[in-house]
Amino acid sequence: MTDRPDIHTLTGAYAVDALPDDERDVFEHHLMVCDACAQEVAELQATAALLGAASYEAPPPGLRDRVMAEIDGIRQERPVGVADASDELGAQRGRTSRFRADWVTNLAVAAAAVLIVAVAGLSVTIANLNADLNERAAQAEAASQVADVLAAADVTVVSVEGPEGGLGRIVASPTRGEAVFVADDMAQAPHEHTYELWVIDEQGATPAGLFDTDDRGRATRIVTGDFANAAAIGVTVEPAGGSPEPTTEPVMVFELG
Amino acid sequence: MALEPIPPLGSDPLANRRRLRAVDGASSGVARDEEQLMAAVARGDQAAFGELYDRVGGTVHGVVRKVVRDPSQSEEVTQEVMTEVWRTAVRFDPDKGSVRTWILTMAHRRAIDRVRSEQSSRDRTERVGHRDQVRPFDEVAEEVEVRFEHGQVRDALSSLTGLQREAVELAYYQGYTYREVSELLDTPLGTIKTRMRDGLIRLRDAMGVTT
Repeated sequence: MTDRPDIHTLTGAYAVDALPDDERDVFEHHLMVCDACAQEVAELQATAALLGAASYEAPPPGLRDRVMAEIDGIRQERPVGVADASDELGAQRGRTSRFRADWVTNLAVAAAAVLIVAVAGLSVTIANLNADLNERAAQAEAASQVADVLAAADVTVVSVEGPEGGLGRIVASPTRGEAVFVADDMAQAPHEHTYELWVIDEQGATPAGLFDTDDRGRATRIVTGDFANAAAIGVTVEPAGGSPEPTTEPVMVFELG
Repeated sequence: MALEPIPPLGSDPLANRRRLRAVDGASSGVARDEEQLMAAVARGDQAAFGELYDRVGGTVHGVVRKVVRDPSQSEEVTQEVMTEVWRTAVRFDPDKGSVRTWILTMAHRRAIDRVRSEQSSRDRTERVGHRDQVRPFDEVAEEVEVRFEHGQVRDALSSLTGLQREAVELAYYQGYTYREVSELLDTPLGTIKTRMRDGLIRLRDAMGVTT
């Protein structure tokens, strides 16, 4: 029936707040990297607001005074771009499409070459920057796959809290045989370590991809491999480059229905 | 200067159109004023915030009441929404839509969050399972129609298919998730997702919404 549904399908349900909390959070990850969906959501939210605009009801008397009194004690948020320029840069990178991210990467490489000639001492920093940009491109690609999985009719979401706060989710579509791991507020892996995903079935644990979280604790990663018969998906901390078998206790285990 | 609250849509079609244009952020005087108000609010101008409250407070409260229904909880949510507008005013970006869209989107979401936190998922599943406890769709549709009499929105809504309209209205006015709508209308999940999107797209086109 809906074997390969249009990934844009969720914009409507999102605009009228009809996505369950879990799916809403995950779709918002997608909106950060998909300009087409973001534009459509903006239009459909404006349309939904017209439905709401007809719902006038005089607020209770006294509410205005209470609101005015309350705001007097509330500090307003500061402009993001001024308060934290690096944050703004991160948001801009996050919004680039995969194609543009590649293009940005190429430009960054060219810029890096020039800079290395000029200031040799900066080369280590620049290498890190390139690695970061490549990571962003991979994330953008993963995000569009996330939207594919989310749009499936039989999507299920399993949420697990991390040991030191943070939240991990597995978004899975059994009919599509695909699953995506999404992290929020998850601490970065220790120095020279990475997180590794595992598909766990009766045969044991099979590597299912590496990820690390960004400076906001977020990550999006397609779970690779066959999990048709999997009992669970696990996350461990492994030495950089990953391991063929888990070497530590899992920090998260998602039990699949 | 105290501003009159904007009255509900009435029987004067011209007045209705003027209001609806103001809502969608087209280049009307009202929309420009609200943008200027927001800019002042973002700079910490409490008097401007008071004016903004007088302009949009009734619509915010109307949206919240539709979804939350309980009067005292609705009042709390309206207060939360307005203080959130104050706190996060700097995030408003006129390039992304009108002041009203920004505020009403926030109001609807807050209202939905309140309803969801009030009812455990089990309660809601039970509620969906017992259709007799659900407010009849016809009743809601009728109320909406009365509100929109002679209005552009009513014309646009009447251009939808029955399923598109039910899916959009059950979600927006009653706060159901698409899964609950799917149960209520005994229609597959994928179909409901699609109808919500193409229903809104048809409304968007019928009302000439741009951002």
